[in-house]
Formats: sequence, structure tokens, C-alpha cells
Amino acid sequence: MKQLPKEDSKKLDKLMNHLQEAAETFLGYPCNRTFDYSALYPFLGLPINNVGDPFMPSVFGLNTHALEREVLDIFKSYTHAPSDSFWGYITNGGTEGNMYGIFLARELHPDGMVYYSEDTHYSVNKIMRVLHARNIMIKSQSNGEMDYDDLYETVRIHRDVPPIIFANIGTTMKGAVDNLDKIRGIMKRLAIPRYYIHADAALSGMILPFVDHPQPCDFRAGIDSISISGHKMIGSPIPCGVVLAKKGNVERIARSVEYIGTFDTTLTGSRNAVTPLFLWYAFKSTGREGFRNIIAECIENADYAIDKMSHFGIDAWRNYNSITVVFPRPGAALVSKWQLAVQQKIAHIITMPHVTRKQIDRFVAELAADLIDTDHADHKKSNRQ
Amino acid sequence: MKQITIIGEDRSGMMAEISSALAEGGINIETLDAETIQEWTVMILTVDRYDDAIRVLQQNPDLRIITDDAILLRLEDRPGALAKIAKRFKDANINMRSVRIIRRDGQDALVAISTERSSAALELVKDSLVS
Repeated sequence: MKQLPKEDSKKLDKLMNHLQEAAETFLGYPCNRTFDYSALYPFLGLPINNVGDPFMPSVFGLNTHALEREVLDIFKSYTHAPSDSFWGYITNGGTEGNMYGIFLARELHPDGMVYYSEDTHYSVNKIMRVLHARNIMIKSQSNGEMDYDDLYETVRIHRDVPPIIFANIGTTMKGAVDNLDKIRGIMKRLAIPRYYIHADAALSGMILPFVDHPQPCDFRAGIDSISISGHKMIGSPIPCGVVLAKKGNVERIARSVEYIGTFDTTLTGSRNAVTPLFLWYAFKSTGREGFRNIIAECIENADYAIDKMSHFGIDAWRNYNSITVVFPRPGAALVSKWQLAVQQKIAHIITMPHVTRKQIDRFVAELAADLIDTDHADHKKSNRQ
Repeated sequence: MKQITIIGEDRSGMMAEISSALAEGGINIETLDAETIQEWTVMILTVDRYDDAIRVLQQNPDLRIITDDAILLRLEDRPGALAKIAKRFKDANINMRSVRIIRRDGQDALVAISTERSSAALELVKDSLVS
């Protein structure tokens, strides 16, 4: 191993100390830090690369396509994708999966209009811009779910162009799930024959398959594609995710790109070959029952946090089947210390698997003191925007 | 001259914060117009260094910055209000690249429409135009 100059070594040590310290007060973002992939470290010594379509033969032999396909097969079962007619690949994270979904939709419906709610992750705007997709934002309800009356009225006016619905299966700030049955009902009421539904299930795509009464959220509910993050609930030191789509749709656009000499429709060239191994390892070592237990505990901890906050008179709440606990926005120091996500008057914590009740107790005590000590006290009952 | 629209929660000191941030960046405000809509302050500026001003203003996470590429409208906050505006554009055959809700409070909604800032487009929405 090559040795670094002393000052560079010190730099790395300092960075590691900072990161370890920050990881102790990490409540606001949906990344699970309880993972151990040390068994896979030898793979980091190889220049592996999953370039291309994981279902197509590749001349570049240093790939992990075989295990990537196994991971896709597991996600297929979780999302009830049609067993012989689905396609997908491991992405660099949720946004790439969302971009793929909208790319597919726009290729299928070049004149389509994309509709998404105001609670949608900000990256959707980047996607629309990159893809030159025309788009209209739809109002949200106070719980973060799409306002279906607004969707109905807006689609009704543009009924001559195919709607492309960007549905949230768990919004970023409030964990709300857009009702796919209602969305499809609107298309039926307006007699719209051609439409596309993409589901952004970044976090909840790994929650809802493991609860007793999930909201409609997957291919059974009529979606055409779905994006799920890997580094969120599953956990990974490298951001990753998965996109799944109906194979027929992918094949249709693959034929149309034939002129560039490839049927590969993945968005990037070189693709990470290590993250499929992380996901594969997580699935094999934890198993379906293991994830079911983890999710149940996360939901119990979310309720625990709500109870604790309620005890101090703080108006805290969560959406059904969500582990995102919403409460009034505290002062900047607390937001920074606990790395809280904030939006206008609200903040949230997400009771990911690494969040302990001891951490929740500490945080709630500090939150209560902050809301009493500062002029945020009047926000106590006003966070349901 | 291209304008910048700034939207922030209505509070004392906001204008002073913006002015001093721009002054520190060596940017001169040439015109300034401000309006309070419910809980928000909407400021419309023209400056001598447009791109630098946007860069400076975007460092404040509590502000929403709308560039000259979008038309800002004030609409009623109720289902279908936005759809009606969209229909005007459609009927006039003016392309809208995107329609985004910037702020809303149950009574009013501030909406940014990305489209060509032509006189025809502005005429279409003159009854609800903010900037």
C-alpha cells in the first residue's frame, strides 16, 4: 500500500473524526447507517464496471450483472412487477430512476404533459429541464398527498395530450403516498386512454412491501415504472437505487434508438458494479422477514417519537405507514446539530433503523426546550401546512 | 432590463438583509418594488449585474428567487385556478415549459410560469400578474 504524506494522512483522520461525530446526530435524512459490507471489501480491489444492460451479454467481463439481475428479481417480487415482462437496472440513486421513468414516458408520449405535486422532491425540476418535458405542478393537501380535485381540473383542460403522472410513494418532507387508485379513477372519469404513471418510491418502496396494509403503490396498482433508493432503507456507503419498468415499454424505445447501434437504454455509460453487490448482500443476509422486523421497529420508533413530543405539547404527526415524523420547525442551531430537513414552518425526523430511542429522548428534550425558549413556541400548533 | 423577483416570508429586516448582501457583492440595485401578499413579501429588483445578484441571493435558503425567464402570477388558492390560466395559454397557442407553485396559504397562490416573456403572454395574464 502506498503511504500518504503525513499532513494528508492527518487530513483523512480529521475528516473521519468529523464524519463519525456527525453520524451520531443524524436524524433528519433517510439514510440507514447500520450496515456492514466488510465481507465485500475484496471486490473493491478490482476494476469492475456494469456498463450496459444487465440483461444483455457484455464483452466487458469484469461485471456483476448476474448478481444485479438477482437483486432486480427481488425488487420485482417486492413491487409485484409482471414476472416475465419487467426490466430494470441498479441506478446511482432515486433521481436517476425517476429520470429513467420520465425519459421512458416522454419517449412513449412525446407530446405528453408531466403532472407532479408541490410536495415532490426538488430534483424533479432538474429532470424536467434535462428532458425538455412540459410540466405542471399540482397542489398538495396538507398531509402532503396530491390534491386530486386540482389534478382532475388540470388534466381535464389538457385532456388532448397524454398525462404523465409523477406519483409520490412517500413524499420527501411528510412521507405522504399519492393515491394511485384515485389517479387512475381520474383518468377513467376523463376517458383518457393513453397515460403513464411513474412512482417515486425512494424510501417507502422499501417500507410498504413489509407492512400489513400497504397503500396501492406498485405494478398491481397500475404504475408503469418505479424508482426506489438503495442507500436509504437498505443502507449503503455509496448512493444507489433501482428502477423497474414494463419490458414492453422499454423495448419500444430501445427499437427507436437502434440507429445509434445499441439496444442499451440505461442512462449512463459506466455503471457501478459494487452497489449491486451491497444490495444483494443486504437482501441475502437480512431476508424478507428481517426487513419486516426492521420496518416494524422503525414505525414503532416513529410513534414513540410522536408520543414523546406530544408529552411536551408539540404537535407531531406522521402519515399512515410512514416513518417520517413532522413537527414545528425549531431554531437554526438545533436544525444544524441534528441535521434536520426543514421546509417553511415544518421540520422532520425519520426514524431510520439506526435511530435509537435514547437519541429520540435526547432530541425531543432539546426540541421542547428550543420551542419554549425561542419565539417558535407559537408554531407548536401550526405545522400542518 | 431583466428583473429578479424575490419571495420571502414577510418579516422586518428582510429588505435590509437583501440590500446589504447585494452591496457586499458589489451589486447596485437600480430599481426596487415591494409588495406584501398575505404572509409573503414579493420584491422585484433590477440590478447592474444580473447573474452575480442571483448567485448572491441564492445563498439565502429562506428566499425563493424567480428569474426573468418566468412570469409570476397571484391566483386564488383553489383547485382548478391554475388549470384556467393554463387554458388561456393553450387557447392562445403559447407554449408553457413549466408551471410551478411557489407559495400558497389557503387564500392566494403565487405561481411561476416558464414561458416566453412576450407582450402576448403578459397580456393573457394581466389580471393576475405580479412580475
